[in-house]
Amino acid sequence: MPEYKAPLREISFVMKELLESEKHYASFPAGADATPDMVDMLIAEGGKFCEEVIAPLNKVGDEEGCTLGADGVVKTPTGFKEAYQQFVEGGWPTLSADVNYGGQGLPESLNIVMSEMVGTANWSWGMYPGLSHGAVNTIHEYGTPEQKETYLTKLVSGEWTGTMCLTEPHCGSDLGTLRTKAEPNADGSYSITGTKIFISAGDHDMVDNIVHIVLARLPDAPQGTKGISLFIVPRNSLNDDGSVGANNSVSCGSLEHKMGIHGNSTCVMNFDGAKGWLIGPENKGLNCMFTFMNTARIGTALQGLGAAEGSFQGSLVYAKDRLAMRSLTGVKNPDGPADPIIVHPDVRRMLLTQKAIAEGARAMCYFAAQHADLVHHAESEEQRKTSDDMLGFLTPILKAFITEVGYEAANHGMQVFGGHGFISEWGMEQIVRDTRIALMYEGTTGIQALDLLGRKVLMTQGASLKQFTKLVHVFCKENEGNEEMKQFVEPLLELNKEWGDLTMKIGMAAMKDRDEVGSASVDYLMYSGYVSMAYFWARMALLAQQKLAAGTTETGFYTAKVQTAQFYFKRILPRTKAHAAMMVAGSDSVMAMDEANFIF
Amino acid sequence: MAEYQAPLRDMRFVLNEVFEANKLWASLAGTRDTVDPETAEAILEEAGKITASLIAPLSRNGDEEGCSWHSAGVKTPKGYKEAYKTFIEGGWCGLSGNANYEGMGMPKMLAAQFEEMLYSSDISFGLYICLTSGACLAIDAHASEELKQKYLPKMYSGEWSGAMDLTEPHSGTDLGMIRTKAVENGDGSYSITGTKIFITGGEQDLSENIIHLVLAKLPGAPAGSRGISLFLVPRNCVDENNVVGENNKVTCGSIEHKMGIKASATCVMNYDGAQGWLVGEVNKGLAAMFTMMNYERLSVGVQGFAAAERSYQNAVEYAKDRIQGRSPAGVVAPSKEADPIIVHPDVRRMLMTMRAYTEGSRAFSTYVASYLDRAKFSDNAEEKAQADAMVALLTPIAKAYMTDRALDSCVAGQQVFGGHGFIREWGQEQLVRDTRITQIYEGTNGIQALDLMGRKIVANNGKLYELFVKEVSDFIEANSDNSAIKPYLESLAATIERLSDVTESVIKAAASDPHAIGAASVDYLELFGLTCYAYVWARMAKVAAEKVAGDSSGFYDAKIKTAKFFFNRLLPKTVSLSESIKSGSADMMSLDEACF
Repeated sequence: MPEYKAPLREISFVMKELLESEKHYASFPAGADATPDMVDMLIAEGGKFCEEVIAPLNKVGDEEGCTLGADGVVKTPTGFKEAYQQFVEGGWPTLSADVNYGGQGLPESLNIVMSEMVGTANWSWGMYPGLSHGAVNTIHEYGTPEQKETYLTKLVSGEWTGTMCLTEPHCGSDLGTLRTKAEPNADGSYSITGTKIFISAGDHDMVDNIVHIVLARLPDAPQGTKGISLFIVPRNSLNDDGSVGANNSVSCGSLEHKMGIHGNSTCVMNFDGAKGWLIGPENKGLNCMFTFMNTARIGTALQGLGAAEGSFQGSLVYAKDRLAMRSLTGVKNPDGPADPIIVHPDVRRMLLTQKAIAEGARAMCYFAAQHADLVHHAESEEQRKTSDDMLGFLTPILKAFITEVGYEAANHGMQVFGGHGFISEWGMEQIVRDTRIALMYEGTTGIQALDLLGRKVLMTQGASLKQFTKLVHVFCKENEGNEEMKQFVEPLLELNKEWGDLTMKIGMAAMKDRDEVGSASVDYLMYSGYVSMAYFWARMALLAQQKLAAGTTETGFYTAKVQTAQFYFKRILPRTKAHAAMMVAGSDSVMAMDEANFIF
Repeated sequence: MAEYQAPLRDMRFVLNEVFEANKLWASLAGTRDTVDPETAEAILEEAGKITASLIAPLSRNGDEEGCSWHSAGVKTPKGYKEAYKTFIEGGWCGLSGNANYEGMGMPKMLAAQFEEMLYSSDISFGLYICLTSGACLAIDAHASEELKQKYLPKMYSGEWSGAMDLTEPHSGTDLGMIRTKAVENGDGSYSITGTKIFITGGEQDLSENIIHLVLAKLPGAPAGSRGISLFLVPRNCVDENNVVGENNKVTCGSIEHKMGIKASATCVMNYDGAQGWLVGEVNKGLAAMFTMMNYERLSVGVQGFAAAERSYQNAVEYAKDRIQGRSPAGVVAPSKEADPIIVHPDVRRMLMTMRAYTEGSRAFSTYVASYLDRAKFSDNAEEKAQADAMVALLTPIAKAYMTDRALDSCVAGQQVFGGHGFIREWGQEQLVRDTRITQIYEGTNGIQALDLMGRKIVANNGKLYELFVKEVSDFIEANSDNSAIKPYLESLAATIERLSDVTESVIKAAASDPHAIGAASVDYLELFGLTCYAYVWARMAKVAAEKVAGDSSGFYDAKIKTAKFFFNRLLPKTVSLSESIKSGSADMMSLDEACF
């Protein structure tokens, strides 16, 4: 099992040096508490907690999994509950929550750093506190003062956890067809009846109560997505004094047997006339959800980042340790029977790919996280709007692209181990299995791609794309005269222009052919991901070059940054060429086949 | 999970229509009298039936239950033993075995189709059968007459099975370091001592005896790979009347817990002075292994796309059945609350990708098998030599490219299912887990790429490569006035040019840069693989274009559309790969080891 080390130096490079967190936090009042000392302390402590408490539970979680007892109680793997207790005692769930409800009020971006570390150490475990965010956000945004008083403080403290109950057996991507019913009761509450599936952390034994946010239909609600409302449904009813009472006709019907994330309970949840309360306006449930979908999706993108980081850490240790064959430039380990496999170019190719993906993804996620801060906290309306647009544009790219390349990185990590990668005890195959779900839940890659190309780019007539390509353009122009940056700036400038051209081309075709968007979307999304990652790698290279020029004791660290950027540009970025050609191949390439002819 | 249906129509297309197997078999001395169209057809039909009805139903439970280790031996999952018995009674184990030792002597082109069906139905089960075939190949090629007579008939009948014991805990890719020892007993036999790991089918409860082919070192053998010899070591002693006796000090120490192929026992094997017999010459063990390696590697490639075929069948059924959202072009199923997801362009993109790779793989593996058949069964020295050269060139591609695309396809097939793809009961995630090992064993795909780039391309200065280019160029030339496939031929010609350009630049770079080969290899293999698929897709398109008029089945029309998809939506990757390769080795080697 690879031992997790919180990559503190990498984190501070991106946060402080690249994205100038100190300046960022000083730019809005809510950032005032995030002083450099506070930030350093939090990340160091958080890293330690992840290394020492959470990471060691990753393997046992996979092997033991969750079980549903005859008493209807879901049991989490050995050690999960105790670790959660420590997490709550450490105040970690309160980090970026509203001070009015017991939170520390720190910016969301700090929480994202913590989530990266938790998720890399043990994704399954991290989902229990992680899933509370949706419920916290919903109640915070739309709850009545009373609802906030009742539920929010408990969710913020971590005393209870929350879930989002969306999917039903027959509907996932297409929520418009959901069937769970909400019948009004005389006392203003509703009676909720229906079955939800794939409810992560839907039930477990770590807390006294679980607060479900359930999507359901009111009687006579309009059909489709415009007839969905949100309800708060606690697993256990509350007594008048606020203490946890009897079960509220909410039960876990069964647990799914899955490819990975065994340590997290994926529940079928049955609501049999459970008592719930409407939250937010009637029939506007989906809209309400979308207001904070962006942060949830960045949360999922972190799973891709964590997969790349975790598998890189594992395979790097192995590549330095495992001996096989000799280097082609001469023996490197004369005392051993063979050289460590890191001397072989192809092993390095895999390691560098993992490294470039992990570090590039971190820059992308943290950049988006700062905009998430600004969406909520910026003083000017204009900045809030700009950040909201930026976040809206980047979110599908982060969610889909980073999980796709993160999954690729996890597979490289396994491949570095050769046959041992396939064996459970090394832990590398678990990373692959755990990560695979990231490409599906929270909107599949295909759904994200439709969101990006259809809603975010074409529906704004390209405005959201331009907002980003303008950043890239300005960066390139600023560094045009820099000889050392030429290797990055030139290709980036060219791609940045091509990005717009391709968008235009697809947009034109889409006006005549409604299948065009779906035919181009995933290639378009991957292309967008590679180009945006290139932008961040170019920025990291520039920064590293500046540090090296100014003189530094960390020559190795910064040189590695420049070299990894070079690797990314030379060996990974050319993938854009293929995606560019594929996305404009026309919808006929996928639509022409007669449905009956898919199988003979 | 959809019920498995052997894709016989496509197999017939590839075998009979594209590569005209019957003509080839009739022309080869070694197949002329053993195989005819009726036999081949009967074998396909029967194989389709037995794999779908007997084996495919085992696979889900096999994954859940897995194998278990007991001090008395390894137990396979429920139903395997009975299925194995029925299966061997059908004579399937000896399908391509040497007819002189009671094998059926069938050519590889046909056996490859059989293997596909076997693996599509259950990779784990198939491995027990195919490891035996592999061991038989090595015995047939290198063992003494006495050993052949004693072991081959029993192995072809499936009563005894085979296993290949190469890897040790500290040495897998680098077999030169193995430590297992062989000491002469004085009676012509050897005493074998050592530990082997990752031995597929090393122990099980299916067959009466297990015949291990073990790599070991004799005392005083040269260091490294030139000091390795190959030994036949039966698990249980066999007396002169072929009666199976007591254990030969061959035991299974434990079995591995792994990501997939859980019903296939992956064993740690301990040899404590077990009695073995030399196969082939002293210190030539690796070379002896390599003769069967080409067959094995093609077989692993087949394993990959066989799983992808299964995943495709499931995904198509699901995409037609699952309703979600409306077609962007307007409602397709007005009576339902949503349209089947197969109306969505992106779902189709995934299905078409799977299909283009899988049918491309089936054609490519059959094509490679045709060279294996020429090499083995021809009595014309020139034809044999040429075929050997093509096999040497194409084998690493067949193993690595087919398995890489197979994993992509299985992952796509899982993606079509959305969240359900992650749930075990649907079977799609099992196919991903089962297929993942094919990229690793029998030489990782990185090793295959080094074999291709280093030994097959650079070491002979592109001589083998020229053979391939000539064949493709001849095809393009011969069809230059065929307007139906003109766009494909142009695209193929451009791809060949790109590959040649890259090949030349790597050969050149390798003269002065020892890292040039390793830096280019994996991307190069993928580029070469795409080129091979472009070639077989052009050949398939040609046949389909000739037959499409008047065909009401839709088969040829679908073939042409899939070809078009391949050329327009998959082949463009060659542009990215060639650019990436041409960037050289500097970006891969410059980073200091300490700074990773």
